[in-house]
Amino acid sequence: MTIPTSPRQEFAAGVVHSLPIVAGAIPFGFLLGSLAAKAGMSALDMGLMSALVFAGSSQFVAVELLDKNGSGGIAGLAVVGAILLVNLRHLLMGATLEPRFRGMSRARAGLALFFMTDEQWALALRRGPDLTLAYWYGVAVTLYLAWLSSTVAGTLAGALIADPTAWGLDFTFIAVFLCLLAGFWRGAGSLPPWLASAGAALAVHALSSGGTWHILAGALAGGAVAALQAKFQGKGSAGDA
Amino acid sequence: MPESLHLDWSLFAIALGGALVTWMTRIGGPWLIARIRLGPAAGAALEATPGAVLVALVAPAALSRPSDALAAALVCLIARRVPMVVAVVAGVVAVVALRRLL
Repeated sequence: MTIPTSPRQEFAAGVVHSLPIVAGAIPFGFLLGSLAAKAGMSALDMGLMSALVFAGSSQFVAVELLDKNGSGGIAGLAVVGAILLVNLRHLLMGATLEPRFRGMSRARAGLALFFMTDEQWALALRRGPDLTLAYWYGVAVTLYLAWLSSTVAGTLAGALIADPTAWGLDFTFIAVFLCLLAGFWRGAGSLPPWLASAGAALAVHALSSGGTWHILAGALAGGAVAALQAKFQGKGSAGDA
Repeated sequence: MPESLHLDWSLFAIALGGALVTWMTRIGGPWLIARIRLGPAAGAALEATPGAVLVALVAPAALSRPSDALAAALVCLIARRVPMVVAVVAGVVAVVALRRLL
């Protein structure tokens, strides 16, 4: 794994690794666009939101709120607040990527991090210490263009979209995330934090209907259990890696 | 001017505001962690965060129905043995078949 690679090859690798994600993302971008059209947004309105915010889950929440409450005054502020809450999980994700951005200029890191989505983050982490900025942008540009074009196309097409779940495309995300999760397996010691995360996420998801609070809950529960493990370590559960 | 190019200024303001707060959540993680000294327990917690986030991302959807749970189990079984594209395609094919059967 020590073959030196050119930035061009790195960029291409990022593009290729994004393709399974793109296949799953396009139907959802299309669906979001058609919901936006229903909420009275034009293709330009949708395109600007996708280009500037570029965060799928929060855009679904925003469009739903806009459809229900409109965009004026307090309702508009509430939409911005909802976007912030849905995206709070980025704080934890970004924290885990910090070593990759250490030593980079503020402007460079700030621009690269603009593109950090769940999928971007997961692929970048999987790359480990070998992560290059070229790989990062290979993923980023691919996901950005796919999201922008599919949400705009969905708005233009209006309510034409069929249900993406009919073709199992919603499962693409689950499968991709499970593959990435497998990369984090470090032996039996990984199990307690993961189970804690699953339990907390399922409980919060059941209680909060929609939104992404369950992600934050799972992250915190998993982290807490890992911290406890570290405190009581030395009694045989060190893990193998 | 075609209707698709109509710009609603209040929606634009929301997009700008949403973009700003979202960008802050994206740059905030590395910024904060570089300024905090972490003990071993906090370090372990941070190290476990990626896996925990992935689990939390998939758990509700993967366990939403038996067909999806079975397909998810299949993906977990083969994930470390085959390239990612193969595992993803196998999972999607399995879920479509299982949703029809179950």
